[in-house]
Parts: sequence; C-alpha cells; structure tokens
Amino acid sequence: MKIIILLLIAIMSFASDTVHFQSKILEKIFTNISTSKELKIWSDDKKILNELKKDKILHTVDKMCDASLVIIKNKKNLSKECKPNFIFVLKYNLLNEIPKSFGAMFWKKGRPNIVIIEPRIDSQHITVSKDLEPYLEERVW
Amino acid sequence: MVKKKEVFLFVVLLMLGGLMIYIYDYIKEAKIEMFDKIEKDKINQVVDIYNNIKRTTVKDENISTESDMFKFLSKKQNRISQEKKIATLLSPSIKYIYILIRDKRGRFRYLIDASKIDKANYYQKFDVDSPKYNLVYETKKPQIIRHKDGVENLCLTYLYPLTINGKVVAILTFDITNYLKKDIESLIKPLENFFIILMVFIVLLILMTVIQVIHYFVTRKKIFTDPLTKLFNRNYLQEIMPMLNLEHYSIAMLDLDRFKSVNDTYGHKAGDYVLSKSSEIFKHSIRETDILIRYGGEEFLLFIYNRDNADISMEICERIRKNISENLYTFDNSDINMSVSIGIHKKPYLEKNLTEAIKKADKMLYVAKSEGRNRVIAFEENIKEEEEKSYDINFVKEAILDDRVMCYYQPIYDFANSKIIKYEALVRIKDTNGDIIYPMSFLPNLKHTNIHYKLTQRILSLIFDKFKNNDKSVSINLSFLDLINKDIVDTIRDTLGDNIAFAKRITFEILESDEIENIELFKNKIKFLHDLGSKISVDDFGSGYSNFRTVLDIEADYLKIDGSLIKNIDKNDKDYKVVESIIHFAKVSNMSTIAEFVHSKDVYDKLKTLELDYMQGYYIAKPLAKIATEDDLFKD
Repeated sequence: MKIIILLLIAIMSFASDTVHFQSKILEKIFTNISTSKELKIWSDDKKILNELKKDKILHTVDKMCDASLVIIKNKKNLSKECKPNFIFVLKYNLLNEIPKSFGAMFWKKGRPNIVIIEPRIDSQHITVSKDLEPYLEERVW
Repeated sequence: MVKKKEVFLFVVLLMLGGLMIYIYDYIKEAKIEMFDKIEKDKINQVVDIYNNIKRTTVKDENISTESDMFKFLSKKQNRISQEKKIATLLSPSIKYIYILIRDKRGRFRYLIDASKIDKANYYQKFDVDSPKYNLVYETKKPQIIRHKDGVENLCLTYLYPLTINGKVVAILTFDITNYLKKDIESLIKPLENFFIILMVFIVLLILMTVIQVIHYFVTRKKIFTDPLTKLFNRNYLQEIMPMLNLEHYSIAMLDLDRFKSVNDTYGHKAGDYVLSKSSEIFKHSIRETDILIRYGGEEFLLFIYNRDNADISMEICERIRKNISENLYTFDNSDINMSVSIGIHKKPYLEKNLTEAIKKADKMLYVAKSEGRNRVIAFEENIKEEEEKSYDINFVKEAILDDRVMCYYQPIYDFANSKIIKYEALVRIKDTNGDIIYPMSFLPNLKHTNIHYKLTQRILSLIFDKFKNNDKSVSINLSFLDLINKDIVDTIRDTLGDNIAFAKRITFEILESDEIENIELFKNKIKFLHDLGSKISVDDFGSGYSNFRTVLDIEADYLKIDGSLIKNIDKNDKDYKVVESIIHFAKVSNMSTIAEFVHSKDVYDKLKTLELDYMQGYYIAKPLAKIATEDDLFKD
C-alpha cells in the first residue's frame, strides 16, 4: 500500500510541483511492474522525461526508437517507425485510441488517477505487484 | 523610579496593541464565519435544487428501487438528460458536480458527470483520496472534504448521500472552488494589512518604550551612584523625594570632622581614601531599610527607617559615630584619626517639606560641630515652630537694627595663680520677648551672608566699647572669612591701630575652618593682627588632626585645646595622652595652653595634673552678661 500513501502525499502537495510528483508516481508504477525486457523509458513530455532522468533506478533514453517503454501524452508523437514494447499514456482517452497502451496515469478533476488494463498487461506479459492491484481495470470505459 | 510618562505611554500602547489585536482577530473570525455561512448556503442551495431534480425524476420515471435507478441511468439518453438538469447547478463556485457509485469491489465510479470541463466517462474509475467517501455509505450522512492548497482552486468537496428506501445507492459530489473566498479575501486584505501595519507600528513603539525603560535601568545606577563612595548621590535624592514618606524616616546629616585638613595635609588621594573608607563604615553601621546619600563633599544625608522603632535613629547615629572614631585610617604609612559630627531630625514630617527638614538636621550638625565635634545632636521637637522661624537672617538683621545683639563673657582662668587672665566674648541675641538666644540657633543661617559680617562688626564694636576703658583682657572669635572682609579689617585697624595698649589686651581666637583655602593669605592676616600688638589663639586645637606647621607659621600665642579632648579626660586615657602631647608641643613652641569645656570637678582636677596654663568651662564659670570676678567663680 506504500504507493497509495505516496499518491496521497502527492495529491496533498500537488500544487507545489505537479510534474515532480507526477514523475514520482510514474517511477513507483514502473518499479512495481516486471516485464520480459529491460525497461528503457522515453516520453514525449519533456518535463516528465527530464524528471525521470534524475531517478537513479529508472533507465531513460533520449530517442523513442531506443526505448522499450514510451510514455505518451499526445498520440501524434507516437512514431510508426519505432516499435516500443510497452506504451503507457498520460490521458484516459488515449487508452482507447492506442490499443497497445497498457495503462494510464492522468488527472481528473484535480485528482490523480491510475488505470492499468488487466487483459493488456496479460497479453504483453507484464506482471504487477500487489500495490498496483487496486488500479487494475478489466476494460476501458 | 521609571518616569510616570513612560509608564503611561507603555500602558496606552499596550491597550492600543490589545485593541488592535482584538479588532484584527475579530475581522479574521468574522471572515471565517462569513466563509462558513456562504459555504453552508451554497451547499444547502445545491442540495435543495438537486433534491427537487431527484424528486421529479423519481416521480416521472417511477423509480422505486436501486435496480430501477441503474436501469434508468444505463441508457445514455437518460444520463444526458439528467446531466443537463444537474449542470444547471454549476457556477463559478461549483466547478464540478457528479454522481459516484461504489461497485462490488469497493471502487468508486462515475455514474453521472454533469461537469462542463474535464468530464469523465460513464463508469470510469474514480480513485478516492479520502476515507470519507466510504463513510457516506456507512453513516448515510453528508461529508465534507477540505482541500489544503487545493488543486485547480478547489477548496471543498461535498459528499451528499443519495438514498433509496433508506439505503445509500450513490453520492452526489460537488467540488467548490475558492474563487468567491479569494474575492472576499482580496476585499478584506487591505483592511487586514492596515491593522497588521498598525500592530507592527505599535509593537515597535512598545519595543522602543521597553528599550527606553531598560536603558533607564542600565544608566540609573550610573546616574544615581557616586563613583567614589558607591553611595547614592543627590540625583537619587531628587528622584526619591516625591515618593519618600517622611513619617517613616528620621533624617541625619553626617559630616566628617576636619576633612579639609586631611586633604591639605595628606593630599586629595588620602581624602578620597578617607571618604571611601568612611562610606564603607557608614554602610556597615546602617540597615538595609536606611537610605544613605552622599550629599556633597564630606557631607552625608541618612534617612533612618523608624517605622518599627521610633528611637532607633539615635542608636544608629551613635553606632556610626563610634565606628568612625574607633577606626584607624592608614594611608601611605600615615595614621589618620577621623570623627564624624551628626545632626538628627527625628520627626522630619513635621516640617513643611524635605528641604526644611534637611535644614533642621543641618542646623543640628552645626550645633554638634560647635560643641566640639565627634557627637550626635538631635533636634528637639518641642521647640516651637514660631521660635525656629524667628532665627533666620531677618531675625539677626532686626536684632542688629534694634540693638539686641549682646555679648556674654566667660572667664579664662589661671588655676595656678587663682586669677582670671581674660574673658572669651560669646555672642547672644535677646529676642523680642527678652529671652536669650544662643548662637547655635542663628549662626548657621548666616554663613556666607553679609549679615554675618555685620554681626561680627557689631560684636567687635560691643567688645571694644566694653573693654576699651578697663584693664581687662578679652578673646574675640574670628573666622578666616571674617579676616578677609575689608569692613571687619578696617574696624579692627581703626580701633586698635593707634591704641597699642588696648590691642595688647585683645586676643583673636581664630577658628579652624574649612574655608581656609589660601594659607598665605591667612598668614598675612594673622601677621596684620600681630603687628597691631594683639595676641593670637588657635581655637579647637587638637581634635582629629593637627596642622602643626600652620600653627607654628602663624606664631600663635595660645592653643585652645578642643573641648572633645577635654570633656572626658578624667575617664579617657587616650584623650589625656593627646592633651599631654599638645601641651608639650605648645611649651616647646612658646605657646600657652587653654583647656575649654571644663565642666566638672573631675575634669578640673585631672587637668591640674598636667602642665596646662589656663582653663575655661562651666565648672569654673558660665558665660555671663557682666564681667565676672574671681569671687564669681566655682559657684554652681
């Protein structure tokens, strides 16, 4: 439940630095999933990418094509030439628009939300820790 | 004491500060109350309107169970129509309004989202950040979630339970922004700022006052303390004067005897040492409740607390006198004997004010000095005020004008030959009632006044008239100040200048006085008297100190041994030895010796064992208006 506590802290301190805490939540999510491939992270949101670069655990890359996991805020930034293994989105609706995306972290009415689509992580051989179980959804609504 | 002005200012500022804090606090409280009221009104308004919508929908759609509700809202068209109705509740204050349900897994989901912006999908998950959502289901009561530093300017989320058949089926949720709060705050802010500035200003003023008071206490010690003796000084007397309750104190004036001679003989450092040492002795001789002040020079003012014991003042002063006289001052290998004369006023509250009371004590000090020093004299309270007042300068002035100044004459006795060798002239004034007033009652007031010189002139003319045409000899008391007065010198010269036979019968008794500042001038004046043919006697010789060199320089004919050494000579061996030494000194210096204050047979007999030349005192004869003969002696 550590991640939930962290989330609450993040919410309470949200106003002070949104990007910083959003990055912290992402870091927690990615450290609580395990995949068959090493996670090399890239994001089209430069602020988030820069924040993630400061993290000592996560491995970030500067090019989308070098990444195994991409964090997308805008669908247009998703290159057709690069084939990232995993896609994580920053808007709920992108879960519908990008069928390969396995989860989302987004702000709804000033509150942070996490959604991880269970059938998609199963198909992509992603396993999540117990801390992320409350955020698992069977489908995108 | 801290000045009343500062205390008043401090209290006013404190009250003003308190008032400002009260007003500021009141505004803050009023603001919070106002916000609460606005919030409450807004919530009630939204809930009321929503309940109307709900009632209409329930009635129109015939919804009676939870499943009826879900069935109704599962149709998109129905959801849109409900959202439209609920959206009418949106305003700048109500940013989001939506209905949440709790699914079987305990997750909250959007059932209806009537928000215009950031709209959620039907049945989309809502991650709750507070246990209060579940509390609504458990308690069936509305809950409020307050957001600190709210995201998107949200300050409050209101959770209102929607029930069907007494069971909570959903939560009407609306997020209230702080826009209105901010608007009101921005309106009130200048007023709050005004009071904050005012309070800061008042705090600064209070601080300045406090600093001033602290500064006062820090410098107070310096201002009120005499650096040499570490005693209070006259500034302190001025400070406490208005607060002093004279009914609780006796007043004593203390003066170190012959202090000036210590300065002249041993130097100012020795003088300072004596002052400092004497002050210590004073301090050790008094109590915590007494107040000792260095009044000036070698003069000290003592307030003796007598509330518990009315007779304590005499006891304390005697203790001081004894401690000073018993102490031996040693400076640069020289032993200095000191004594102190003390005048007391036991009931100063009977006087018009403190200054008058001090004057009375000072008068008693003068009496103590004139009676031979090293003694304590207390003011007699039974002396009538009228009498006291009459002994001022005007009293003497009128006495001179009315020819009421007179002289009494006390014989100086040659005991070896049983003969009166001369008489000491002593001034008296007959008051308007015919009573005889003694010099101690009027002379202190005349010091340094022109009347003093007029009185001396009158005395001289009285004596000269009395003795000019007989063969008797007479001693006349003169001070150094008299000797440097031109009128007095002229009177002496005019009378004695061309009558050497008469001049030879005149002895001038020079009072040892602190006013002798110019020794050379003093010697010149003595020479002038010698040149006329008159004799010189040194008065009050031998008490406390002896300026032998000056005595030798002026070639005095007589040494009159101080009464303080004589009066107890029959009991005090030390006094006897001192007198013996003085007599020896006088013999080898060709001076005759006179012992004054011979008041008893014992003293008289004791003195006869010494090689003394002459004696004078009440035992032999009191001063009389007439010129006594040998037959008048030893009568009382």
